[in-house]
Amino acid sequence: MDRSNPVTKILRGLALLAIGLFFLFPLFWVALMSFQTNEQILRIPPSIVFEPTLSNYWALISGRLVSTAGVLEIKFMGNLWNSVFLSTTSVALALILGVPAAYAFARFRFRLSEDIAFTLLSFRFAPPLLVLLPLSLYFQDIGLTDTYVGLIWVYQLIALPLILWIVRGYFEDISPDIEHAYRIDGHSWWKTFTKIALPLARPGIAAAALLSFIFCWNNFIFALILASAGKQPVTVGALAFVTASGIQYGQIAAAVILSILPTLLLALYAQRYLVEGLSLGAVKG
Amino acid sequence: MAELNLTAVDKIYQSRGKPPVHAVRSVDMAIGDGEIVGLLGSSGCGKTSTLRMIAGFEDVSRGEIRLGSRVLNELAPAERGVAMAFEGYALYPPLTVRDNVGFALLRARTPKAEIERRVAEIASLLEIGDILDRYPPTISAGQQQRTSLARALIRRADLSLLDEPMSQLEPQLRAILRARIKDFLIEHKMTTVFVTHDQTEALALADRIAVMEGGVLQQFAAPADLKERPANLFVASFIGEPPMNIMAGEIAGQEIVIRTVQGEKAFTLPAQAGDRPGEIRVGIRPHRVRVGEGPLKGQVVSNQWLGDQTHLGIEVEGVLLVAVTDGTLNIGIGEAVPVALPGDALHLFDAASGAALRHGEVSAA
Amino acid sequence: MAFLDLDRLSLAFKKEQVLKEASLQVERGETVVVFGPSGGGKTVLLRLVSGVMQPDSGDVRLNGRSILDQGPEERGVGMAFQNFALYPHMPAFENIASPLRARRLADSEIERRVHETARLLKIDHVLKHFPKELSNGQKQRTALGRALIAGPEVLLLDDPLRNVDAKLRYEMRIELPRLLKSFGGSVLYVTQDYKEAMALGDRVAVLLDGRFLQIDRPAEIYKNPADVRIARLFGDPTINLYPVQPRPAGNGIEIELFGSKVTLPGSHGHLQGRECLMGLRPEHIHVHTEPVEGGLPMELDAVTPLNVRTVLFLRTQDNRELLATCSEHEQGNFGRGHRAVHARIDFERALFFEPASGTRLPAAA
Repeated sequence: MDRSNPVTKILRGLALLAIGLFFLFPLFWVALMSFQTNEQILRIPPSIVFEPTLSNYWALISGRLVSTAGVLEIKFMGNLWNSVFLSTTSVALALILGVPAAYAFARFRFRLSEDIAFTLLSFRFAPPLLVLLPLSLYFQDIGLTDTYVGLIWVYQLIALPLILWIVRGYFEDISPDIEHAYRIDGHSWWKTFTKIALPLARPGIAAAALLSFIFCWNNFIFALILASAGKQPVTVGALAFVTASGIQYGQIAAAVILSILPTLLLALYAQRYLVEGLSLGAVKG
Repeated sequence: MAELNLTAVDKIYQSRGKPPVHAVRSVDMAIGDGEIVGLLGSSGCGKTSTLRMIAGFEDVSRGEIRLGSRVLNELAPAERGVAMAFEGYALYPPLTVRDNVGFALLRARTPKAEIERRVAEIASLLEIGDILDRYPPTISAGQQQRTSLARALIRRADLSLLDEPMSQLEPQLRAILRARIKDFLIEHKMTTVFVTHDQTEALALADRIAVMEGGVLQQFAAPADLKERPANLFVASFIGEPPMNIMAGEIAGQEIVIRTVQGEKAFTLPAQAGDRPGEIRVGIRPHRVRVGEGPLKGQVVSNQWLGDQTHLGIEVEGVLLVAVTDGTLNIGIGEAVPVALPGDALHLFDAASGAALRHGEVSAA
Repeated sequence: MAFLDLDRLSLAFKKEQVLKEASLQVERGETVVVFGPSGGGKTVLLRLVSGVMQPDSGDVRLNGRSILDQGPEERGVGMAFQNFALYPHMPAFENIASPLRARRLADSEIERRVHETARLLKIDHVLKHFPKELSNGQKQRTALGRALIAGPEVLLLDDPLRNVDAKLRYEMRIELPRLLKSFGGSVLYVTQDYKEAMALGDRVAVLLDGRFLQIDRPAEIYKNPADVRIARLFGDPTINLYPVQPRPAGNGIEIELFGSKVTLPGSHGHLQGRECLMGLRPEHIHVHTEPVEGGLPMELDAVTPLNVRTVLFLRTQDNRELLATCSEHEQGNFGRGHRAVHARIDFERALFFEPASGTRLPAAA
């Protein structure tokens, strides 16, 4: 029963506004900071009124950080590219491996299937620091330290379990009868997988890919230990702004905004598929 | 004494950002003391909203509901003296079936021996005697539904409301339970309103049936009247299984011209003196179609003997008719058979409004 | 040699034996209805034939050759599912066309055949719609079209009418026999509705506890059920059952029934001295308001009209319940019930069963 009157409507609006402000304020403040110089930022009391400057962004893009202590070369754009490359290829690899595996786990009951699926999930609960030390030793031995291949491999620890478990749930939601019907129509199992199972699980695959992309993008500790400056993503690269002469808040803020942008755009793009998935709805017939 | 009166009752659902939904439109019903009334219709016809307004789970948007001399509109559900069996059973999971059934009596401080006697009585009526000490989650859907029915019936309240009370019953129990429940309701003179989408159930239990569609009460009458004198096309096609045969046609002069689905002339029937020319629909109930004699030539499409009755599909000049007889008929598929549609069995409806024009020789007006 | 031969099929799920050496032979062009209560392994049986499941033991032969080693796409069967199993991301046209696409027919040929099939099923106007835009009836017809279009030698229909409303279900029951005959292949049809089974089957195979308890023509199963459970499953209202012990009396035999001594017809003479369960079908009990010869006095407790027949709820002098039926036009004699009546029982047609096993005791040779 909906008994809403104007007062509850206004109260509801106010509550939503308060929650929105609470969660978005840090982001909003960082966005403001990215258009200010370090001096403006450190003003006391802080002020919302200032003369905006693009100098932070310019410094990041040109790779030259001018501070009171002199000129510092930074490779922020290189870091950004590394992030894009590492996250994209990691998710792509995880999809190629994970989606068929998820299908197998969803459709077939084989010996140890639950145990294998659980082991894969357990990668997510081990603290990264626990595996890092032995991992870095092995990587040095087999020459994978500071290579893209090595990092992408390690990123599978993040992306693969996520994709496997989310997509498996979506496959399980598709009535097996729909696939059986397609087989009985005379289509091979491979066509059934590509024409029925994959399209129907697409929203799940999109969601899982997006989520694992964000997790890969935000990873810090693997990249910090296993890669040197040339291969490091933005998360690690941002450390460069903590210099001997102080912390470059303006540049950090600009870097944050730039590094949020790709995931934000991707999320907006993928939203279409997520919504489509909801409206397709009647998968269960 | 508990007559139930609904006077010009409306239900309008308001929801934000959507046009209001007029679920029940100006429904008038006078239900006598001890009468059993079925609210019948397909989903979304307003029957459940009506029942929930009587129970007090929905506000009455307009109009008045009275039970005896009391106006129910502003009373809370608990103050109405009404017993209800819910479609989703709504059993209390931590209580045994026995305690679920006896709950209301316990609360009313009925003596223990009396509770025990009445639980035993209702349990044998609904065949739940062997599960009285089980818990609701451990029994089947059919058993849960019977428990929920028992919990409502045991109270012998002024008014019993039953929402889809028999939808989950096991097929083998259905006929006997319907009969026992009806017997119980009549014996204790319990005024009862039940909701169902199943016209068979409505016909079996109810003294009178309120057929609803689109929030509007289409007809409120005894089962025999709904069958013999349906007020409009909707009621005619909703009541009866097999449903009434309905044919498209036109009154032209002394004849009723019946057409096929494709719109071609199929055959003619004699018209009556009072029939006005125009588009009509002609209905005939399947067991009034006469097979084996008559002026029309039919071809058998299907011949289905169901044990105590035979259902025939017969195509007459491109029009498919269903005929039902009590006995067996030895006619194979594809065979020709003469057919008659007796004039006193025909129902004529206006094509545009659907309103009944005449039943047999008698005008509907 | 049968066209489709299911030979001693067994299958267990976890510890539960779903099928126990179930055997069934289907001739070319024949419709066999597999009937049984839910969870009885009917659907599993269809899955074994379609190839999406493999039996633990036994064989499935088509035209004398085992097809167990063929995948579902190689067997050339058509199947319609209870939940329709339409492809939600394809319009109705592509759903129906799917078996033709698999056979790589030319687009123009596919176009022609889909339209032809759709016209036959009266869904040609919704071919562009996606499944979620179709009504349940249209979904069901689309699923049927998909199963039929490639002209399979074996058509498997898994309770295809279960999820459509009563009216449509009835309509399809009348239309399906003609459709299935024109299609010409063998049909295995699964249902848990005995009327559907009797209406559609050339033969009915009753699957109970993983075995076929009886395979016969519908009329035979109704008149001569092999087991009391089958007798209870076929018939609405359910058959009345009473334990009796026939004793010799004079030159015939007699039983104690409803507080009276009743002489049984000579045809039951061989049952003398055996304890047995007597089954009386409701339509073989004729109820009169006035005393009749051979009539037993009873109390009529309730009258519950069904569609074509009306159920009379009787209480015997020894306080047992008895269900009888009468035709609709006789119903008026009985009013609302609660009156004395006289029931004449047609003992010639009574069925007798072994009380412990439930097996039918054969009629006299």
